[in-house]
Amino acid sequence: MEFKCQMASGGVKINSLNNISLDILIPEIIMTIGMLMIIIIPNLGDAKIRLPLSKIHIPILIGGTRFTQVNNPVIPSIISIITFSLATLMSLLMLLNDNTGVMEPIIEVNQFTSLFSMIFTFALLLTSISSLYRLPSQANAKIPDDSDSEKSLNSKITILMNNRRQVDFYILLLMAGLGMCLVAKSTHLFMLFVCLELASLSSYVLVAFNKESTIGGEAGTKYFIVGSVASAIGIYGMSLLYIWNGNLEILSLTNAWSQMDSLDPFAGIGIGLMLVAFGFKVGAAPFHLATPDAYSGASSPIAGLLATASKAMGFVAMMRILLIITIPENGEEAYWMIALAIISVITMTWGNFAALTSTNPKRMLAYSSVAHAGYMLAALAAIGTGLGDDESNALILTAVIFHLTILVLFKFGAFMVLTLIENEGNNHNMTGLHGLARRDPIIASSMFIFMLSLAGVPPLSGFLSKLLMINGIVNISAGTGSMASVAFWSWASSVNMIFWLAMAIVINSAISLFYYLRVVMIMFFEDPITNKPLARSLYLRLIIIFCAVLTLLFGIGPLSESLLEIVNEAAQSFL
Amino acid sequence: MGQNKHEYPLLYPLIPLLLLVPLMKFIFGMDSFEAAFLIVVVPLLTFPTILIVGQIFNKNDTWKEKYKEGGIIAIGSLGISLSVTLWILIDYLSGTLHFSNLTVIEWFQWISFDFLQSDYTINPERRIIGVGIWIDSISLMILFVATFLCFLICWFSMGYMNTDPINEDRNHRFYAEFVLFSMGMFGMVLADSFLWLFIFWEIMGLCSYLLIGFYYWKVSAAYAAKKAFLTTRIGDVFLMVGLFILYDIYGSLSFEVIFEDPSTGVAGALVDSNQLFWALLLLFVGAVGKSAQFPLHVWLPDAMEGPTPVSALIHAATMVNAGLYLVARMVPFFDVHHHGLAGLENLAIIIAFIGGITAFMAASIAFVQNDIKKVLAYSTMSQLAYIFTGLGVALWFYNTDHHHAAAIAFGASMFHLFNHAMAKGMLFMASGSVIHEVHHAHDHLHDAGDGHDFDPQDMRNMGGLASKMPITATAMMFGSMSIIGVPLIGGFWSKEGIIAETWKAALEEEPLMFFPAILILATAGMTGFYMSRMWLMTFAGEPKSDVVNHVHESTPWIREPLLILTAITALGGFILALFGAIDFLSNNTDHLKMHGILETLEHAFLPEDLNTRLIGWITIVLSFIIGPILASRVHGGSLKDGEKAIQPIGFLVTLSGKFGTQDVEELSKSQLSEALQNRLYFDNMYEYVISKTIIPFASMLAWFDRTIIDGIIKQIESKSVLGSLQVRRVTTGSARDYILMAAVGMLSIFVLIWGVNA
Repeated sequence: MEFKCQMASGGVKINSLNNISLDILIPEIIMTIGMLMIIIIPNLGDAKIRLPLSKIHIPILIGGTRFTQVNNPVIPSIISIITFSLATLMSLLMLLNDNTGVMEPIIEVNQFTSLFSMIFTFALLLTSISSLYRLPSQANAKIPDDSDSEKSLNSKITILMNNRRQVDFYILLLMAGLGMCLVAKSTHLFMLFVCLELASLSSYVLVAFNKESTIGGEAGTKYFIVGSVASAIGIYGMSLLYIWNGNLEILSLTNAWSQMDSLDPFAGIGIGLMLVAFGFKVGAAPFHLATPDAYSGASSPIAGLLATASKAMGFVAMMRILLIITIPENGEEAYWMIALAIISVITMTWGNFAALTSTNPKRMLAYSSVAHAGYMLAALAAIGTGLGDDESNALILTAVIFHLTILVLFKFGAFMVLTLIENEGNNHNMTGLHGLARRDPIIASSMFIFMLSLAGVPPLSGFLSKLLMINGIVNISAGTGSMASVAFWSWASSVNMIFWLAMAIVINSAISLFYYLRVVMIMFFEDPITNKPLARSLYLRLIIIFCAVLTLLFGIGPLSESLLEIVNEAAQSFL
Repeated sequence: MGQNKHEYPLLYPLIPLLLLVPLMKFIFGMDSFEAAFLIVVVPLLTFPTILIVGQIFNKNDTWKEKYKEGGIIAIGSLGISLSVTLWILIDYLSGTLHFSNLTVIEWFQWISFDFLQSDYTINPERRIIGVGIWIDSISLMILFVATFLCFLICWFSMGYMNTDPINEDRNHRFYAEFVLFSMGMFGMVLADSFLWLFIFWEIMGLCSYLLIGFYYWKVSAAYAAKKAFLTTRIGDVFLMVGLFILYDIYGSLSFEVIFEDPSTGVAGALVDSNQLFWALLLLFVGAVGKSAQFPLHVWLPDAMEGPTPVSALIHAATMVNAGLYLVARMVPFFDVHHHGLAGLENLAIIIAFIGGITAFMAASIAFVQNDIKKVLAYSTMSQLAYIFTGLGVALWFYNTDHHHAAAIAFGASMFHLFNHAMAKGMLFMASGSVIHEVHHAHDHLHDAGDGHDFDPQDMRNMGGLASKMPITATAMMFGSMSIIGVPLIGGFWSKEGIIAETWKAALEEEPLMFFPAILILATAGMTGFYMSRMWLMTFAGEPKSDVVNHVHESTPWIREPLLILTAITALGGFILALFGAIDFLSNNTDHLKMHGILETLEHAFLPEDLNTRLIGWITIVLSFIIGPILASRVHGGSLKDGEKAIQPIGFLVTLSGKFGTQDVEELSKSQLSEALQNRLYFDNMYEYVISKTIIPFASMLAWFDRTIIDGIIKQIESKSVLGSLQVRRVTTGSARDYILMAAVGMLSIFVLIWGVNA
């Protein structure tokens, strides 16, 4: 009975956008323009239209014989790179200038959202640059004829196919970027979900983009099926929330939640179902099972995108649900705390154990990213205990956001190195990495840095974020143990269970070192299968080195301090 | 010699470096001490540069021919260090900058930290450890010795290392480590706190390991490197503990804080002389290890396994002087005249005793060595022991408030350090020249590397080289004379001072000092014998192997350092003595002052004090007359007919044949000789003790590590792998199973939520 009343009074207000101010959506607008440009520019031609009833031909520029200047298949990638660079830059400027703004009731822009749109667009920029080499286009491609041998025929067909699908690929990337950025900014669950689907559907297609290889098609299909089931579950949860509150604005949901005396089944089940949907996005166990398949089926740049930007998007959505809507204000324990804590331990342990024996580097990295998701979920669970004050909660959140930020550098960096290897054809095993140090010391050293940072070795940035997370968890839980007696066991049994999450992170990090260092060992101590140096791939190489240097600089020194400051402000603007 | 002219143009690119000092002085208006950081920073940056560039361009012809595999870069950076040092030295001597005795310049702060007080509260003042330099006459003198010799040895290395095929494509490693080694010494001398002193001290320890083990594929070299590293490490551990105690006493390791007033510790508390005694004793043990004194001397002779330039570097320019420098730094603790602590005489006596024992022991072992470098190694040990004795005596005088006598003993010790470093640097380079040429002649004669058992360092294969290598022979003659203490030449001035002051202490004040006094007096005579023996075995008499006939001086880069050092050894000592170097080095005067020649000579040969005069003449007779004559009787002899050497050498050689011959066959078979051959069984003893104590203990630990720790780790590993396979089995690859798992997960979430909240 109750929900009917709310239906009547609440209503849907989405059609009434107040204060439309486009300047807060600059990155999204840039991406939209980029999308249009990709469609328009390659189609510029000398087409003319005849005015009816006259002989005047007016050039309309679209269609006809294409101009030679735009006839280069590399154009979509260039437009995409420019677009993402501009969007990253604008997000960065907005972040540094503290641009804030609200479009009631669906969009809010603050430092948190600017930071995340910067993360997303930067990850997409890296994807575009590495795709220059992974999905190469070639001007003046030859058309196969009868005299070709089978091999040259195949290569010619591949080139033509790659040229043909450049536009599709980069439009999908832009679409995913648009969706991700809007997820970070939406303050309405409906908006959030639509944008999430926009990004997700694009990423399903991107995973299956190599459709000529069975493994790519299979991976995409599986990812799509499992993903759409997760989405369905999420939408179902959202509909339950709607029944409960009659309004999907996050602010309204928050208010309703805090006024609730005991847990309403609709609200509880609704939030739980949404947790499942976002758990799939972040790769939490046991919803992560499709991710290793997807990563290994997709090309490396796409896998990198999934491991960094897509995961960050899932975390943003999750944080909105967990830390805004359902967090109790009076320091009580959030009702999802135990569930999240257990999921986090299972996730990190599962990820690490599965990665131990993976022989496919991309699968290994996929499991490693599952493990990393586990660490971050543990940190979120710590906030859910309600033990910490605002400041310590902000510090833990800072650690999580910092980790998501720098993950783009070293996780994507590792995938970019794999891109280089992949171009040689060694797709699914470690042999491509054998003796890399001898073939290409700089790339191998960068990979070394990435692996150490993933494992969390000081002084790299991966260490800093892990340290901050563990420090935050220990900080809020350390005071809870009984200090009455000196005996360890009495303390250990009375300390808040969240303390053991920190222990779990430490033990898991120790386990994870094994497989990260195995990659290093393979690179430095095995004999290479060939002595040919890696392909030149100038821009990719530069950006790998750039990422490696930043991985180091964000780990220690003044740069890391200023980044932490920015992230801390973002975390505070979010809470 | 034509090759010579051909090679020196390689140095032309370095000429702009000479403009560096004038540029900084007149254009940037820098003061010399402001530029002092370059002395350390330039070699520090050169080290990775040579290493990386060398790794990249290895085997490249230009790199080999034009850059001498990094030698040119190394000599350039050492040249900068040397020129800046000279600049500071000139400023210091001319008094333009008016340094006080103790000058500190702070550069930047390294780390700052809170520290816990004994009542577990945090001290509100943060402790700051900064980096600065400390300049006084001692550090300047040692800095000059180090920079100058490192420069010359680097020069020499380009002849010695680059012409030997065994070093090919490895020389960049040599030069990089060489530069780092030099940097360690420069930094140690300039450091303004015991902390930085220790850090650079350890860098030197590391480099000595790397360089002694340069031929790491030779078992003996690897063993020697390990031995040197571990032996000095033993001293270093003591040194570190000593530094902890010092920190405990003074709350700081900075010279400025400690030497301000060594009698008051942290927060104005009076320092307990007993505690300070232990701290300084431990510091001294560190110095004993570094300077190869009894009983930590065993590493030094083995260190000859390194290339000869490394021996020169360790023995003359850097490593062994570090220990002396550390002991010399202890003066303010002892100087009761200036806030020093009374009651440390025992430590001074210990230092003098160790010095005396080492001097005598090393000299006696040197009697029987046949390897030319080993003789020099023991002579280094013995001469350093002189300096330690002198320092011990000086510290004793300081502590008993005999300020004047203390200053003379201290100045003489420091002056001996200078003389010894110059002479020993040259002797090693000269011996390197001999070894190099003999080796080449041997290779020329018998095909290179035919496995023929020939040791180019064995003096029994030489003899009669005086006519073949006139420059080397002259250089070695002057070097030996300086070490022996032939009147008027270098070492004479300082050695006389040390012996006289030791006897003075023994006769007038402290009977215990008779022990070191007698030992070092005897050693003076023994030095005369073994140095003459070495020279005569190498250069005089008839050739003892066919190789000698094919030896000739031709390698470029080797001649010039020898000539420069010969001049300094021959004349430098006398000139500096005229200028009152002893007074200068003991911080008595701010700058050098000219004395009259006659006055100086009178002071040296006919001092007013009767005892001193007697001791002085006994020393001269023992070292200059008895020792060399005995050596001539055993090893002397004219050259082969028809061979002619240049004038003074020829005269010496002929003279050595005039004393008749003496057969020492009997003596050489005696037990004493055997004991000396075996270095007095020190190595055997140490090895025995180690094999009975440390090795069983270490094998027990190894067993524990292998079975218990490794066992646990292996178990974890295999179980993890099993677990991993189990976990991966769940990932079937079928989307249906994935959805099933998701559903299971979803249900578990609900169970968890309701289980907790219901």
